[in-house]
Amino acid sequence: MSITVEFFGIARQRAGVATIEIEADSLGAAFDELAGRLPQWSTACIDDGHLKSTFLANVNSRTFITNRSHRLNEGDHLLILAADVGG
Amino acid sequence: MTHTPPGYHGRYLHVDLSTRQSDTHPLPADVLRRFIGGSGLGTWLLQQHTPDGIDPFAPDAALLFVFSPLVSSPLTTSAKFAVMAKSPLTQRINDSLSSSHFAIAGKKTGNDAIIITGKAESPTCLVISPESVRFDPAGDLWRLSSHRASERVREQLGKRFHVASIGQAGENLVRYATVSNDGRHAGRGGLGAVMGSKQLKAVAVTGDRLTTYAHPDELIAYSKDLSRKSFGPATAKYRELGTVSNLLTFNRLGTLPTRNFQQSEFADAERLAPETMSVTHERTRASCAACTIGCEHIFHLSSDAPPSPRATARGSAHGESGVRMEYENLFALGPLCGISDPDTVLRASQLCDELGLDTISAGGTIAFAMECAERGLLDVPQLRFGNGDALLQTLRLIGHREGIGDLLADGSRLASQQIGQGSEDFAPHVKGLELPGYEPRTLQTMALGFAVGTRGADHNRSGAYQVDFSNQVDRLQASPDDVRLAIETENEAAIMDSLILCKFLRGVFDDRLAAMAEMLHLITGWDINTAELQETADRIVTAKKSYNIRQGWTPAEDTLPQRFLTQAIPDGASAGASLTKDALQAQIQAYNLARGWTPDGYVVDESSVK
Repeated sequence: MSITVEFFGIARQRAGVATIEIEADSLGAAFDELAGRLPQWSTACIDDGHLKSTFLANVNSRTFITNRSHRLNEGDHLLILAADVGG
Repeated sequence: MTHTPPGYHGRYLHVDLSTRQSDTHPLPADVLRRFIGGSGLGTWLLQQHTPDGIDPFAPDAALLFVFSPLVSSPLTTSAKFAVMAKSPLTQRINDSLSSSHFAIAGKKTGNDAIIITGKAESPTCLVISPESVRFDPAGDLWRLSSHRASERVREQLGKRFHVASIGQAGENLVRYATVSNDGRHAGRGGLGAVMGSKQLKAVAVTGDRLTTYAHPDELIAYSKDLSRKSFGPATAKYRELGTVSNLLTFNRLGTLPTRNFQQSEFADAERLAPETMSVTHERTRASCAACTIGCEHIFHLSSDAPPSPRATARGSAHGESGVRMEYENLFALGPLCGISDPDTVLRASQLCDELGLDTISAGGTIAFAMECAERGLLDVPQLRFGNGDALLQTLRLIGHREGIGDLLADGSRLASQQIGQGSEDFAPHVKGLELPGYEPRTLQTMALGFAVGTRGADHNRSGAYQVDFSNQVDRLQASPDDVRLAIETENEAAIMDSLILCKFLRGVFDDRLAAMAEMLHLITGWDINTAELQETADRIVTAKKSYNIRQGWTPAEDTLPQRFLTQAIPDGASAGASLTKDALQAQIQAYNLARGWTPDGYVVDESSVK
């Protein structure tokens, strides 16, 4: 499955890019793929295969997900953003 | 006779500007434990000092500066105070918090709170120290910006004094004028106008009265550990980018209020994003007093930016070109008004600082006026979404109450009542307080928080947006089952605002209430646990509601403007998102019952909040 990962805020700072296209069919597979493609991002944002508590994952601007087994579909947009959205 | 706990002076100062008299009154230990300080203690005091139905601009209306047991402790982010009064914008309770050396100096006067009533015969600077209360003439300060006035007072009295003051918006009774201190603002609800109504230009405080701590060694160790954690990843967002980093996130999720909430995405958001502005504009960082996070991001105007309409007396806490940017002023003076030019947003923010205007209410009211003008309901041709010159000019007119500014200085609710023709349906307020930058149709737990908020539509007293940004709820589908989660955020805010502790620390705690109980224990010696703090939070929220009921609250106030209940989001990532009156009402009723109130929101037993 080809998906687009979009980074926002600190996640973008750590990734060094705003978006990246990867192949992944689940949230866990996406994190594993990103660990290889963006190791500096993975070090900063991933802990034991999951997003650190200061980050959130969202699919297609709609659903917040945490489960590594959550299925991703062709063309999905996986958004990685800050967990604290206080303004 | 009860013993005053460590962390407190056990008394408050009452100053009457009319009689130029002052006296102190004891604060019972049980009141301190039940209401803590800041917003909680201020609510209790305001109950005692507000006649039912009083006009917020009447001389007898009370204006409070309230400190807390944490102020002047080594705990990071604790240099905070609450300014409280009945709001002239909402006619309801208002607690507006700020963070500066004023908090530390104010507490060192030897008082846990300062209550000001009466009205001075002429512009006055109130000078308070442990030894005296003085009423200095302030005619030479009148018409100065709050920053210039503060500088002038400190030049005259000495740098050991710290100052809270108003700008011309406060003098002119703009109903969303701020109280400025060290470049920060107690911003919401128009408490600067309450100062102005009393002809009180400034309050200067100094002192040397310290409070003790129950467990000083443990407190120092705890404080060091908290400061260390505050440098960690939980606060990186605030430290590295600031709250302005919300902009692109909200835009992508389709929850960025745009053009007076007609849309929830802004096509030019990238131009205003901190990631872009950090490249196009010089940026520096700063911190509040006694804070290790350092969330303030000061952007400097481009050297070739056109000059703005000037306030009568200029003065910015960050110099002529530096402007502190937060998500709220960025959204309100940018996308909400259709403005995409970064320098215009910086100029507008700077003008609000100089005049002493709440940026959220200023932006919200002007965006409302722009929509009215575009619909032909208001004959002001230049007021169009995206017209930066009109934004800047209208801010100046509001600050001076000139022309169209006189109408808009009363806020969107009163302005819409004057304009009529259905404009009430899209005036962006709850209880008169303009909405902050969270689109309620796309954040429906937050929609409840806005509707029931005792000070109006507010993201600081309800943090229910955090629930919407999680997998606990469907943010586009309100459910009465979710009200408990909203109440948890409201209760947490009630305690943090009473301690008073910065909410940007939230992420560093594994168990926030337990951490707050520990801090209170180390300072006061109280054997306090999370269950007691929950009871305290319930008490404070209920006390605020009880206050509002005494001031004329009715269930009809707990709602959202018609736009949010009748129109779906038209396009973008949240296209089709809608909220109905019935769905919101079901949430509100569930909320009221969960609070232990009647289904329509009346407090059953007021004895617990006295």
